[in-house]
Amino acid sequence: MKILIVEDEPSLNRSMVEYLSSQDHLCETVMTYHDALDKLEVYQYDCIVLDITLPDGNGIDLLQYLRKENKLDGVIIISARDQLDDKLTGLRLGADDYLTKPFHLAELSVRISAIVRRKNVLGNNQLQFEEILIDTDSGNVVVNGAPLVLTRTEYKFLVYLIINKNRVLSKNAIAEYLWGDNMDMADNYDFLYAHIKNLRKKLLSAGAADYIHSIYGMGYKFSLR
Amino acid sequence: MKLFTKYNRLTLIATISVFIIGSCTFYFVLKYILINEMDESLYNEKQEITSFYSSHHTLPDIINTNEQKTTYNVAIAAIPLKVYNTDVHYLRSDEWSRKMEFGIPSGGQTIKVTISKPLEETEDLLQIIIIVTICMIGLILLTGFLINRAVINRLWRPFHNTISKIRGYKVEEMQEITLEPTSIDEFNLLNRNIDEMIKRVQKDFQTLREFTSYAAHEMQTPLAVIRTRLDMIIQDEQLLKNNASQFADIENSVRKLSRLYQSLLLLTKLENHQFVLNEDVPITDLIRKKAEEYKELALAKGIKINVNVETLTITSHTYLADIIIGNLLSNAIRYNIPNGEIDITLYGDTLTISNTSELAEIKQENLFKRFYRHADVKEDGNGLGLAIVKRICDAAGCSISYHYADAKHFFTIVFSSI
Repeated sequence: MKILIVEDEPSLNRSMVEYLSSQDHLCETVMTYHDALDKLEVYQYDCIVLDITLPDGNGIDLLQYLRKENKLDGVIIISARDQLDDKLTGLRLGADDYLTKPFHLAELSVRISAIVRRKNVLGNNQLQFEEILIDTDSGNVVVNGAPLVLTRTEYKFLVYLIINKNRVLSKNAIAEYLWGDNMDMADNYDFLYAHIKNLRKKLLSAGAADYIHSIYGMGYKFSLR
Repeated sequence: MKLFTKYNRLTLIATISVFIIGSCTFYFVLKYILINEMDESLYNEKQEITSFYSSHHTLPDIINTNEQKTTYNVAIAAIPLKVYNTDVHYLRSDEWSRKMEFGIPSGGQTIKVTISKPLEETEDLLQIIIIVTICMIGLILLTGFLINRAVINRLWRPFHNTISKIRGYKVEEMQEITLEPTSIDEFNLLNRNIDEMIKRVQKDFQTLREFTSYAAHEMQTPLAVIRTRLDMIIQDEQLLKNNASQFADIENSVRKLSRLYQSLLLLTKLENHQFVLNEDVPITDLIRKKAEEYKELALAKGIKINVNVETLTITSHTYLADIIIGNLLSNAIRYNIPNGEIDITLYGDTLTISNTSELAEIKQENLFKRFYRHADVKEDGNGLGLAIVKRICDAAGCSISYHYADAKHFFTIVFSSI
């Protein structure tokens, strides 16, 4: 998958490249409006990660350029909370998704993956990890050929884990992804433990191996190990 | 004491003293002139008698009247010329008089002549002057009183107008104040300075506001860097193994900071009136949706959410309405007791969210204070949740109130009936 990252803050840019590259994405990166425009004129990307504030221009203009030229690149905007009135404005302007700073890389990855799956005209809407198969179109989960019934949160969680497989995911990042930023339940992760316990139980009883590993009280990792 | 009363008192005292001093001077000057005139007429008499004597060698006949008395006496010694005031008996009565004495040498002896004229006129003058003075003082007092009643209130009207306008002024609403020009320089000066002061205050306030907004805005990129860097660093499991709790602490702090900056931005935007409240918000659906969203979290604590809502659509802003319900509900869960209860009711345009809680009653004065946290709070929010709810309610023109009963906290919002 080919991704263009347009972000002027070097270390943020580097973090995104490192994380996304490790997930077998092909990342190109630019730091300015004009470099981005040069790239967009020539190449096509599966997804563009677009910061709105750039030193020499506005990310929104790039977005409008893309839509005017009928380019189909998926776009995810990353911005401060106050730059767009709300999520809707960003989407109305033609973005596929919208993420406010500061975000977790795992969440960015899930959102990019969702955009790419949606844009994928070939219809490859399947996520697979060993014996677990998810059809993201219908939302069906199949383990060893047998359907597995999950709650909405459990499903969302499983997709998140599979996309961010082999990565250490902090409890913080997971909770924020699952319950949004309205949900500031401070240092209480009981609700998270309950969901993990349930998901693990369901997967095990469906015959899957235990892929959810607890990592030193910090978080979890979904991997073969 | 009112300025005018004070001023009036001073001018009255000054006017009356000046008047009394003036009257006294006037009296003495007049008296001097009159006596001078009388002395002159006495000299004339003397002249006449002396010249009559030198031509006729005899003294003129005396015709004494009420206005004049002349006497001749024979004296042994020489009589020096003398003029003085004394009582003199005229035909009818005694009068305070001007009296002249002089001698006419006649052979070996001297004839002493005295001429007197009454000083009645000067006394009359004194009386008149006293009466006039008293009348004038009375008149001054009366005029002062009348001016006070009739004119002063009208003269001070621009001042009171200005005061009433400043009284209602709120700097955070960036109101424009128009102070009308008046015909009085002092009030114009006052108005002009108030005007300038308000502009200065507004500018400072704006700067402060922008500072909060910029500061919050500038926080986000460094926060994003820290968070994403941390996401990367924890992939190093060897490092994580030895430092897990440090990383967790950093993560939590980043989350708190990020919540704080988002709240501050929202507050600044609300204060700058950057939200247009013109959307139809189906508040009933919103409440149901939110309750559903929060259900899982509530259940983790064993909390039951009872929703009992009638249908209502308000004119507001979806995002803001979402925040109101979200903040109240998340407080209701966060500060609840295990296996507690939350009741959400919406009757007519009155929404009540009540919950059991580990916290005692919140003091009204602290309720919507920014950065206030209840003393018993263990799980720390940023203390901005209720302040934001209050700001939104103010902006949307709906009222929010709080009461505590039966160990439950009640928040009641009355949506303005639009």
